[in-house]
Amino acid sequence: MNRTQLDHLLKLHHREAYLWARQCCSFDEDLAKDVLQQVYLKILEGKAKLKEEEKAKTWIFSIIRYTAIDQLRNAGKIVSMEVDEEIADFEEEVDSTDYEAIIRLLPRMQQEVILMVFYHQMTIGQSAEVLQISLGTARTHYDRGKKKLKELISIAQTQAQNGK
Amino acid sequence: MENNDQLNRFFEEMKAKDEGLSVPPFPTQKPKKLNAWIPIGIAASLTLIGIAVWFEKPVPDPPAEVIIITLQQGENQQQEITIEESTYLETWESPTSSLLTEY
Repeated sequence: MNRTQLDHLLKLHHREAYLWARQCCSFDEDLAKDVLQQVYLKILEGKAKLKEEEKAKTWIFSIIRYTAIDQLRNAGKIVSMEVDEEIADFEEEVDSTDYEAIIRLLPRMQQEVILMVFYHQMTIGQSAEVLQISLGTARTHYDRGKKKLKELISIAQTQAQNGK
Repeated sequence: MENNDQLNRFFEEMKAKDEGLSVPPFPTQKPKKLNAWIPIGIAASLTLIGIAVWFEKPVPDPPAEVIIITLQQGENQQQEITIEESTYLETWESPTSSLLTEY
C-alpha cells in the first residue's frame, strides 16, 4: 500500500478514529488529538503496517488504543487493565444524559468492548482483535458490560424521574 | 434474541450528542515544492559569492615595517630629525617624553 492509498484510508476513518481516541483517553479531547497525531505519524513512518486491507478499522483502532494507554501512563493517569473490576457504588446522582459519565462507571475493558460494538458498529470478534484478547474473553466483557450498563442507565433514569 | 433496545437508544443519543464535537482536520501533507527551491537557493548563493569575489578590491599589503620619525635636540642645541625603522610600534617611547614630566 503506497502513501496515497494510506492517506486515503486514514482520511476515510478519520472522524471515527478521533472519536475512538477520545473514548480511549477518558473523553479528554486534547489528549485524543495528541494520540491521533502520534498514531498517524507511526503509520506514515511505517512503524505500524497494515497487512490486510479489510481489517483497516480494527488495525487503526488497535494502534489508537495502545498509543492512548501509553499517553495516559505518561500523563500520570495510570490505566488499570484488571478484568474483574467492580462498579463503584452508584449512589451519587448522575445525569441520565451524561452518557460519558455513565460509561466511565464501567470497568475499562467492558467500556471498550461496549463502545466498539454499540457505538462503532463492530463485532465482538473485531473488538477482541483490537484488545488482543480471545473471542471468549471479549464476549464475557461484552455480556458483563451490557448488563452493568443497563443497570446504570436504569438507575440514572430513576434518579432523574425522582428528581423531577 | 437479545433485547438491546435500551442500549441502542442510549448510544444513538450519545452519537447525536457527539455530532456537536469538533473533529480536528485531517493533517494534510505539505507540498514538497519547497524542496525545488533548495538547489536554486544554493546556486544563487554561490553566484553571489562568485560575483563578490570577482569584484573585490585588492587590499594593499600592510607595510612590513613602521617608520618612526623623531625630532630631537642634538649636541649643538640644533634640532635633528632621526628616522628609524621598526617592525612594531608598541615598544616605541618618545625620547623627549622626559621633558614633559620635568615641566
